[in-house]
Amino acid sequence: MSQRGISRRQFMVRGTGAMAGLITAMLSVPAVGMLLSPLWQATQEIWVTVQGGPIDDIPENLPTARIAAVPLGFGPSTPAVNRVVYVVKTGGQLYAFSNICTHMQCDVHWEPSLDLFECPCHGGLYAMTGRNVGGPPPQPLPQWVHRTYQDAMGNTYLQVANRLEEQI
Amino acid sequence: MSERTAGSEMPTTGEPEEKGDLISIVPEPILGPFRRSWAWFDDRTGITGLLHSGLYEAVPRQGGWAYTLGSATLVVILVQFFTGIFLLLDYVPSVSQAYTSLLYLRTDDFFGDWIRGIHLWGAYILMLLIGIHALRTFISASYKKPRELNWISGVMLFFLVLAMAITGAMLPWDQASYWTAVVVTNIPHYLPVIGNGVRTLWRGGDFVGPVTLTRTFALHIWVLPALLLGLIGAHLYLLRRHGEFGSWVNYRTTTDNPEKEIAERIRRAEPPYPTRGAEPVYSVPSETVDFFPNQIFKDTVVSLALVVLIFVMGALSGAPLDGPANPATLTYVPTPEWFYLPLDQLLVFFPTVLVGLGVFVIVGIGATLMLALPFLDRNPDRHPIRRPDVLVPAFFFIFTVIYLAMLGVNRLYNL
Amino acid sequence: MQHLILALSPTSVPGTVLTNTVLVGVVALLHVLFATFLIGSCSLVALSELISMVTHDERHERLARSLVHAWGYVFSTGAAIAIFFVVFILVGLWGRFFVTFQQFTFWVWFFEALLFVGEIVLLYTLYANWERMRAYRLARLGMVILLNIDQWFQMFLIDVIASQMLTPTVQGATVNMGYVLQFLNPTNLPLTVHRTVGNIAWAGALLTATAAFQYLRVTRRQEAPALVPGRREPVRALGAMPEGELVRERNREAAYWDWAGQWGMLFAFGLTIIQIWAGYSYAKEIQLHSLDSWYQMMYGWISNIFLAQFAGLGLIFIFGVAFFWQRLKAAGQHVLARRHQMLLGLLVLLWLFGIQPAWLAGSYPDIVAAHLAKPFWDGGLEDPFGFFFPWKVMVLIADMLIALYAFWSYIRARVRTPMTMGQASRGSQRLLISLAVVVGLMMLIMGIIRESSRSPYLVNQNIVINHQVILQQPAPNIPLSQRPIGP
Repeated sequence: MSQRGISRRQFMVRGTGAMAGLITAMLSVPAVGMLLSPLWQATQEIWVTVQGGPIDDIPENLPTARIAAVPLGFGPSTPAVNRVVYVVKTGGQLYAFSNICTHMQCDVHWEPSLDLFECPCHGGLYAMTGRNVGGPPPQPLPQWVHRTYQDAMGNTYLQVANRLEEQI
Repeated sequence: MSERTAGSEMPTTGEPEEKGDLISIVPEPILGPFRRSWAWFDDRTGITGLLHSGLYEAVPRQGGWAYTLGSATLVVILVQFFTGIFLLLDYVPSVSQAYTSLLYLRTDDFFGDWIRGIHLWGAYILMLLIGIHALRTFISASYKKPRELNWISGVMLFFLVLAMAITGAMLPWDQASYWTAVVVTNIPHYLPVIGNGVRTLWRGGDFVGPVTLTRTFALHIWVLPALLLGLIGAHLYLLRRHGEFGSWVNYRTTTDNPEKEIAERIRRAEPPYPTRGAEPVYSVPSETVDFFPNQIFKDTVVSLALVVLIFVMGALSGAPLDGPANPATLTYVPTPEWFYLPLDQLLVFFPTVLVGLGVFVIVGIGATLMLALPFLDRNPDRHPIRRPDVLVPAFFFIFTVIYLAMLGVNRLYNL
Repeated sequence: MQHLILALSPTSVPGTVLTNTVLVGVVALLHVLFATFLIGSCSLVALSELISMVTHDERHERLARSLVHAWGYVFSTGAAIAIFFVVFILVGLWGRFFVTFQQFTFWVWFFEALLFVGEIVLLYTLYANWERMRAYRLARLGMVILLNIDQWFQMFLIDVIASQMLTPTVQGATVNMGYVLQFLNPTNLPLTVHRTVGNIAWAGALLTATAAFQYLRVTRRQEAPALVPGRREPVRALGAMPEGELVRERNREAAYWDWAGQWGMLFAFGLTIIQIWAGYSYAKEIQLHSLDSWYQMMYGWISNIFLAQFAGLGLIFIFGVAFFWQRLKAAGQHVLARRHQMLLGLLVLLWLFGIQPAWLAGSYPDIVAAHLAKPFWDGGLEDPFGFFFPWKVMVLIADMLIALYAFWSYIRARVRTPMTMGQASRGSQRLLISLAVVVGLMMLIMGIIRESSRSPYLVNQNIVINHQVILQQPAPNIPLSQRPIGP
């Protein structure tokens, strides 16, 4: 064949490759986009009131578990999910801990005999202030983004948003 | 003889001496039309030739019972596929309907609970089988040249089956399943850089929710099974290509002149032997028999026993269904399945900054060593006593895994 | 019967609390050394016999035979010590505690005693008839395995006792919670696995030390032959071997002892790697179920002894890898030897980093009370790099991985490269002896730590040492949150 230009055979080989690549790319764009869509999804921030009444009667230094019906804020609409809010008043501060362990995200509970939060999965231990004091958890117990408000009769209510203060 | 004429239409590759007695007991007037239809079909597809080359190939004669584990694994995987399809007839992958659909399966469907029990016990038996199958091929050094890819594809199959087990466990959306989903989807976030992204991708957001379930369902129903089937095909093809190795007992020489004996074996070898690429002494077993019916009989006995066991356990013990998923629990203890206990117990030992080390590095090293085994052990000897450099570390590894599992049970029992 | 026991006055026994605890410690530790060797060596005999039956290696046969011969005097001495321990020290000096304790662990002791009888029968039969049974090797091996199972169960039962004392499943006034719970108390399993592995490691260590001694003896430089005044030729003992044969015999012996030493050492070294898992999970269970004991061990005055254990562990790996280095060098495997030398360097660095104490005082509560719980560069008595989390844990993990790699590398060298036995340097044999000494010391110190961490209790929260008082209600642990535990 002539030295300029490519041969028929080469044209067909390369053309097939290019067209196959084009088909793949066309298929990939929507597919990959759909696969990766959660990365760009924004979570809608929603505030809910913690159930169980006002928090004034919760004693000092006694972590008390309350329930809050927290909506997910992303994905197809589903009912709100019940989540635990551990209300702790200690050292003059108010904490609203979630009970999500920072190790493997198992359910943490307050263990009175140890005077600590304990995670049954791998023996993780947290102090009343949330600091991780024993076992494998790498971070302190995370708190819900929270705020309080007072109603007309002076009762304090706790509200939590559907996200944690730190990423765990 | 009637058997001879009965077989005269079949092609003569690897002609067996005696045809199976299954069809010779059926009288000719009934058999005739079937035989003619088969001949018509065979003329156009050539299927009998294929069957013959598959069924009548040579396998080692001695020790066949030890080599049934691979086919047993395949049979149990097929049982899983089969029961999985039937579970699909009822199950709905939605956070509000998954649990109730399984309740319906349990109470209102005939044998629904049994099918679910078979699916669960099939998974348990499958994990055990894969472990024993891997151990057998390891001890008999079947991973050596030229069968390295067989081993590697097998290890990858093992990982895929583990992934199937964990994604399947996340589907019922009862307490056990929900917390499994939380813990398992959380593990990737310990990867550096991409970790949080992977977790978000899998969960569909920050927390486990409806998107997690549908994505996991897709993984379990078609992504992983497609990969599984593909790899199984490759695994079986490689086995056929190189022939069943067996173990060192099949290659012993008995005469004073072993080279002459081996040369004679190679000369008289039937396909797929002599194995190309293997050392001469290990290229042809000392004695071979036909795959069908000798080895297949043993395979079927073991498979039947296991299937019966799975059916019985599925009926007696069934598959548990805890209460519906409750993220607000304070008392539930998330517990992994027994075959994940060693890894779970490992997590107890790695504190704070080293969690990633325990989760990924140690497991990654273990997985890499498993995959790289054929390249680490280039010792041409195949007798286990002469391979302490792999057997002793393997013993350590197995002992550690079992011990970790026992520790896990002990810890959870004493909570 | 119980009120009779409780009416006994423990102040009427001879001696003081101090002398009686020291006596228990000494006798019990002696017993430990004997018993663990017996169980471990039984496993080694079974393994060695099995290998010799498959490979027809006469060295393995000789090793099994000599271990069985050793059983004769080891078992008789050890059994005598154990019986003395139980009859005089436990029943005599600590009778109140022992009898009360036995009341809710009766069947454990009963079956233990039964198994002991079984051990006597099997062991002495094997000892007396080893040679005579050489035509029935399989039966002989079966008896060894049976003996090993018997011994293992004895150990398991005594572990139930020991773990009951540390993490009891009894509630005040020795009310038993049931036999299954007794057996499955939290520390029983880690203790049992720890001891199963440790037995074989100790037997391997003693074997390697014996082999090293013998090697050193056999390879002593030829002493100048004795000259009798007036004679020209050296005097030789009647019936002694001619010169050439003596050298060949010496070489054969040297080869055997060299081989035996490195075989035994592999168990001592390799199994110590597993001990780290076992030890960690043991400590974890103690933390979760007997917080006082755990705190004493990790933060109290016993923590200093525990630090010595940590150092000992590192030394085992150091001596082991140093031996690998020397042995490979003597065999001419210079590339591999260099690799082990580098691993040795790494291990030494890790050891130096790991043995730093976390507080430069008696115990952590001490420095907290003195307001000195800050780093020493801030004027305090704390060394943050000495804390167990995460520094010493990282050292342990690194140690394990390096030791595992060195172990595998050595075994591979044994299989793939020609290593003539009998070439080991004398220095490498001294390393083996040091290894065995460290293993033995660690076993003794571990016993001391375990028993001391339980004080002031004999059975945690239930029976105290002083006057052997039995508490009506179990005493609670002081919670972790009320103790100082570091940064």
